[in-house]
Amino acid sequence: MAETTTTTLLPGEEVGSDHVPRSKKGTLTLGPGLRHTPPSTITATTAGTLHVDYKKAALWLEAPHGRYQPAVGDLVIAQVHHSSTESYACALTSHTPFALLGQLAFEGASRKTRPQLKSGDLVYARVSRASKWEEAEIECFNASTGKSEGMGPLKDGMLFQISPAFARRLMMGADKDGRSKGGVIVLEEVGQKVRFEVAVGRNGKVWIDSGSVRETLAVGKLLVQCDEQGWDEDAQKKMVKKLLKDA
Amino acid sequence: MPREPDPSTNERAFLLSALSEKTRLDGRPFDAYRPISLSFPQNPDQYGVADVRMGKTRVLCNISSEVVTPYADRKFDGVFTISCELSPMGSAAFEVGRQDQTELLLSRLLEKTIRRSGALDTESLCIVAGQKCFHVRADLHVLDHDGNLVDASCLALVAALMHYRRPDVEVKGEEVTVFDTRERDPVKLSMQHQPFCVTFSYYASGEILLQDATLLEEQCREGEVVISMNRFGEICQIAKYGGAAVEGLSMLTCTNAALERVKVFDRLVKEELAKDDKLRDQGGVMKELRAENER
Repeated sequence: MAETTTTTLLPGEEVGSDHVPRSKKGTLTLGPGLRHTPPSTITATTAGTLHVDYKKAALWLEAPHGRYQPAVGDLVIAQVHHSSTESYACALTSHTPFALLGQLAFEGASRKTRPQLKSGDLVYARVSRASKWEEAEIECFNASTGKSEGMGPLKDGMLFQISPAFARRLMMGADKDGRSKGGVIVLEEVGQKVRFEVAVGRNGKVWIDSGSVRETLAVGKLLVQCDEQGWDEDAQKKMVKKLLKDA
Repeated sequence: MPREPDPSTNERAFLLSALSEKTRLDGRPFDAYRPISLSFPQNPDQYGVADVRMGKTRVLCNISSEVVTPYADRKFDGVFTISCELSPMGSAAFEVGRQDQTELLLSRLLEKTIRRSGALDTESLCIVAGQKCFHVRADLHVLDHDGNLVDASCLALVAALMHYRRPDVEVKGEEVTVFDTRERDPVKLSMQHQPFCVTFSYYASGEILLQDATLLEEQCREGEVVISMNRFGEICQIAKYGGAAVEGLSMLTCTNAALERVKVFDRLVKEELAKDDKLRDQGGVMKELRAENER
């Protein structure tokens, strides 16, 4: 389990030697936001909080800012922009090159049974290829099993914008004791009282559908506010209680 | 050419169904504005800068002036220009050096509202007829774009004009002296009235009217009506953009609502200016009358 420290680093600042874990193999894994200058200096390249995993001998920076960059395996919410013979061009984030979604990259899709998506439709998909030099590729099924695994076109509901860092925290899941790793319990708390469907995209988008405008809005607003105001778990519980009381 | 990305069909449908249930996405009533904040520079030597925030929209207006020769056909008038350039800082859809629809509409509306309504008394900017006059220039910078640029820009522009002080001048025969702000207190511009813009976005062929639409609401609307008026209810201009027809009677409700809103704007600007005056006037008259120099 990763031990979280609350060391905040600014770009160019050095990581103190007391934070650097010692592994048996003598190797060290550096994650995003850190740079190694031989022989043994580690400096931050961006502002963020330092996280250390002593078991894996890994170090990385969590930055709350920055735009989304596709990485293989990420679940994203994409918006169809236009369709071509082979694939749909989908926007993951605005003003960035489109990601390609194969016309047949859906569960049980064949030439005749493929879903017809129009410009502006939303899909929940997984990034299957990402590279610096060419467009990312996404797919709505698991290529090895052919199952959709919850991915596919998103109908109705509403899309809310959150920061990519918050989306990551939302998707971290729970540890063995059932505690949220990312420190976000809003959805679990509301989910005990309100029924809704949710899809979190790593590209900073959340899709929520509860069937009614009021509930969808309430849940969405809760998430957006939690992101913008940085509530801790107690504050989250309090705000959820307040919301349920008002509704 | 970059443009604002269209909202998804889900968002559009949700927004419209929410509006038909009489709710807005941020929970405001239809005729409410987002929280507005207006601030002036803290530096006591700096005049004519106004920073307006409406929710996430943020516009900064800066006024400057210089002495130039007046236009040959308008010998007794000073020059007043408004320049608004939308930079990529406000939204990734704005490009430097290329005018797009938003910018064109914005500058045209401000031109009509402030310049052609004679809000600024340009005759008072004349120093020597036909030879010297002040050129007052207003630069608008959109720092963040989340809808309703017109209202925010107009508010910033009027507030900045009222806050601005031009250097004092003295004319002796043909000789003109422009005094530094340290030599003589700079003087206010003379404003004849303070017009403000109020934008109404309409949906469902004019049955739903929204004030202060956010970017998403703007993208989904059928059209807009922009009304400029001052606090006396004198209308400077009405513009209607967008194809869908609106009932004539609803224009009357628009103008009535606009008047209420303009009064609120007017009060806000005056209150903030009074607060700013108080901050700048540290020490008051006693300080003015003191013979002792500050060392």
